Amino acid sequence: MLCKLAWGNVRRAGRDYLVYLLTLTLAVTVFYAFNTISFQVDIAGVSEQNAGMGEALGGIISGLTVFLAIVMGFLMVYANNFIMKRRKKEFGLYQVLGMSRGQVARIMTLETLFVSLAALVLGLVMGLALSQLMVFFTASIFKTQIANFRFFVSPSALVMTVGCLVAIFIVTLVFNLRVVRRARIIDLMSAGRTNETIKTRNPWVSAVIFLVGLAAIVAAYVRLLHDGLPYDGAPEGMRAFGITTLIVVVGTILFFFGLSGFLLKALQGVRGLYWRGLNMVTLRQLAAKVNTVSLSMAVIAMILFLAITSVTTGMSLADTMNNSVERGTPVDYTTSVTYYSQPLVDEWNADPTITGGEGGVTFAATDEPVDVMELSSHQTLNPDTPEAEPFDLSSITGSYVQVDVYDSTPRGAARPLVTLQDLCDAVDMPLPAGTESSDVESLGLQVVRESNYNDYLAFRGMEQVDLGDDGYTLLSDMGETVNVIYNAVLSEGVELNMGGHILHPVQDRVNEDASVFVNSMMGMNSGTIVLPDALVDALALPPYTSYLLVNYADDIDGQQADAYIDTPRRYGDVVADGSDAIVGGWGVEATRTTTYESTDSMNGLISYLAIYIGFVLVVACAAILTIQQLSGVADASANYRILSELGCDRAQIAHSVLAQQTVFFVLPLAMGIAHSICALSVIIKLVALFGGFTIGGTVGLVTLIFLIAYGGYFCVTYLMGKGILRDATRARHAA
Amino acid sequence: MSMGMHTIDTRDGGANARVQMTLPSSLRGTSAPVRQFATAQAAGPVLDVRHVEKVYGSRNNVTRALADVSFSVMRGEFVGIMGASGSGKSTLLNCVSTIDAVTSGSVSINGVDVTGMKPAKLTRFRREQLGFIFQDSNLLDTLTARENIALPLTISRVPARETLVRVEAVASRLAITEVLDKYPYQMSGGQQQRVAAARALVTNPAVIMADEPTGALDSKNARLLLECLETMNRTYQATVLMVTHDSFAASYTNRVLFIRDGRIFTELRRGGTPRQEFFNSIMEVVAMMGGEGSDAL
Repeated sequence: MLCKLAWGNVRRAGRDYLVYLLTLTLAVTVFYAFNTISFQVDIAGVSEQNAGMGEALGGIISGLTVFLAIVMGFLMVYANNFIMKRRKKEFGLYQVLGMSRGQVARIMTLETLFVSLAALVLGLVMGLALSQLMVFFTASIFKTQIANFRFFVSPSALVMTVGCLVAIFIVTLVFNLRVVRRARIIDLMSAGRTNETIKTRNPWVSAVIFLVGLAAIVAAYVRLLHDGLPYDGAPEGMRAFGITTLIVVVGTILFFFGLSGFLLKALQGVRGLYWRGLNMVTLRQLAAKVNTVSLSMAVIAMILFLAITSVTTGMSLADTMNNSVERGTPVDYTTSVTYYSQPLVDEWNADPTITGGEGGVTFAATDEPVDVMELSSHQTLNPDTPEAEPFDLSSITGSYVQVDVYDSTPRGAARPLVTLQDLCDAVDMPLPAGTESSDVESLGLQVVRESNYNDYLAFRGMEQVDLGDDGYTLLSDMGETVNVIYNAVLSEGVELNMGGHILHPVQDRVNEDASVFVNSMMGMNSGTIVLPDALVDALALPPYTSYLLVNYADDIDGQQADAYIDTPRRYGDVVADGSDAIVGGWGVEATRTTTYESTDSMNGLISYLAIYIGFVLVVACAAILTIQQLSGVADASANYRILSELGCDRAQIAHSVLAQQTVFFVLPLAMGIAHSICALSVIIKLVALFGGFTIGGTVGLVTLIFLIAYGGYFCVTYLMGKGILRDATRARHAA
Repeated sequence: MSMGMHTIDTRDGGANARVQMTLPSSLRGTSAPVRQFATAQAAGPVLDVRHVEKVYGSRNNVTRALADVSFSVMRGEFVGIMGASGSGKSTLLNCVSTIDAVTSGSVSINGVDVTGMKPAKLTRFRREQLGFIFQDSNLLDTLTARENIALPLTISRVPARETLVRVEAVASRLAITEVLDKYPYQMSGGQQQRVAAARALVTNPAVIMADEPTGALDSKNARLLLECLETMNRTYQATVLMVTHDSFAASYTNRVLFIRDGRIFTELRRGGTPRQEFFNSIMEVVAMMGGEGSDAL
């Protein structure tokens, strides 16, 4: 019996429940589809090129899902509260008719259960379909080929999704039961379907609140643009940022709080507009909702801001990598050796746990760089197997060059000869954003010999440099942020004093293409100074890193060469000639192919997370707005009926409703976008450190998807609102 | 009195006015509509209802709410429609006011037959020709009194300046100027009803339809509202059609139509009699209708 009643209620209150159902269904769909990521990565062939990708992504996504489920849970509670508010009378009636609270609670539980089950079934069906489609999407963002497409069901995603739904269900239920338990029958019965008394605020006060809010927002923008982001985590920076955040939050809330009053006051000033058609009705309806809706509008504006900013930043970062990977990958294969410094060597040698005590290894700081090509022949392919053999890099090598980079702190000296800070001071420029906190102040530029650099240039097929006796030049591939300083140094002809030698620049700008020593998706050379050989010798600089850049031999197939590099290999110790002491460690090695692939994977990862988070947040916001607007239309339906009786045609009323909905949907979005533009302009400066930063490409597509989702909710709201309106204006209350 | 005139005239009734009744059964089959004596206002009827029938329900479950109702109202008349709950009086008002469609018969307002009108045209017609006052004042709770009264004018796109002048004029006439800038929830029920009356009057409609306007009011506010309607009728020559089950309210009208079981049972004219006498006459008819109720059909 209760079951029948509950089922009937769900069907009758269908419209109220529809949005709830729709949102929950979408949540289930998205949860399931995104949680199948590890399966998709398999099918899309991502695992083949990047083994750990599936698990890594899967782990991040399931963690995110829990977080988003919590967000969704609160959204659902909110949505449900709206339904409950409108049905208090009904629950009161049940109790008046002699039902116990337990029975009423059971009805409600059953109702929630029906809707949740429906959402689960619908959502899983859609999720299954979506996850199959998403394989193609996955393949496209990871730039892979789909190996063998097959229909798949992911049990782990299923468990995850059901788990989240159950959690949401329980949270919703707890809140619902509380409503029933707390409510007194008299309150339930007297709770009309319409709003409680309409509180109207003095429009003048509202207008002032609005203007204060607007001023606060502008002030926060100015502060942010001036202070920048506290990427370094310095306390003052964090405090300033915290205050800015607080100002913008308060400003946003005040803005929406005073908005309707301001609009009312502003438009009342234009008589011909206010006293015309339903304009005053529209404005008054907006003003009447200010208490219930303004806070959520502010929250939605902030959430949309977060969604827009994170998605745009993520996608742009991916784009940036895409753009910089080509320049950052000049050769087929790079590897490197990084040398230990004297203080480090002394420390390690004194520590038996590192050296292994008696009969263990010893460390040493070398004066001369090692021959990396020769050293690599001590590496072993397929170690500890019958196929074990020495690694013969030269067998696949067509041409190669070794670049030896020196530390600019001479042996025994306390501080480097030249630092980024010195150069900034020389041209009277601040340190680039994002570097103030790091130890650039004490960290010196790296040094490379003129002859060695010319070898590199010859290898790259580039024009030689001639430093003469007292020339220098600068290298970096980190993009404009740093290079703007180096370029200023070079073009202004800044003289450098290196250990008593006065040097002059021989170039007037940094050649970024000629600054890349390792294959990488982003710039890695933060600053290198090229000095005459004699000077480097005289300064007694310790070697810092040796880079080996290799191009495969013409007669070797690139894939075979890559496979040879990828074969399991044991790296030998880095030892100097004729000694057992370890002088350094092997650095990262990268083939052109792996660099491109890891760029694609990183791209895919970022795009995935950005879209997932963004989509769920946008859907959540849109759902809240939809529920609010629909209940608003229902609450105001008595007013719309009166309008209809006064001879106002339905189209006119629908137009007024549309205008209200537009305000509620567009303004938070506009505010979110405005916040985002401001924040992004600051973020761009920071991200630009890793190379040029552009917003475009995929961001456009993602924006389109979000707009469709948001716009879809808007359309649903309008159509359903029209339905409510049609019912309300159809005929007068039973005569 | 000629055939088909089922009118009780109390004009010459005086103290011994014995109400003459024509049983409703004699109305059956009469082709001629209920006709009025030509009144001082002359001109044609502003509202002409002929053989209106309204049937609810499907084939197996038919409810006849109105059966062959005919009457007409002259310009400047204040007409009451009385009947018990379920007698069909509200249905009649809804049909006359174009809110509900008739099953058969015709309703003409200002000579225009509204029964066959398309919804869009009806909406416009209603806007331009009719004013409404309901039991619950039906003011928009989000608008001030001034805005509520102005609403029909703004909907019709009357220029703002003219709108505001007309609202002021009506408000001062109905003594509600002091509440113009208040919201409905800040007003008493009586004030709300007078604002609603002002809203009905402001467009200068052909007929004002009032459905139990005093139903939710205490006696003092009910009297104030009725006086207000009287003022509208006298000073603005507004034609008012008021449905009520309250004899006291009905006694403010010029003429009362009694409805029972979907038919016009009889009609009572006030003529020049004082309101108290008219009230007594109405009470007599009501008592008689109540007494005969069981064997009427």
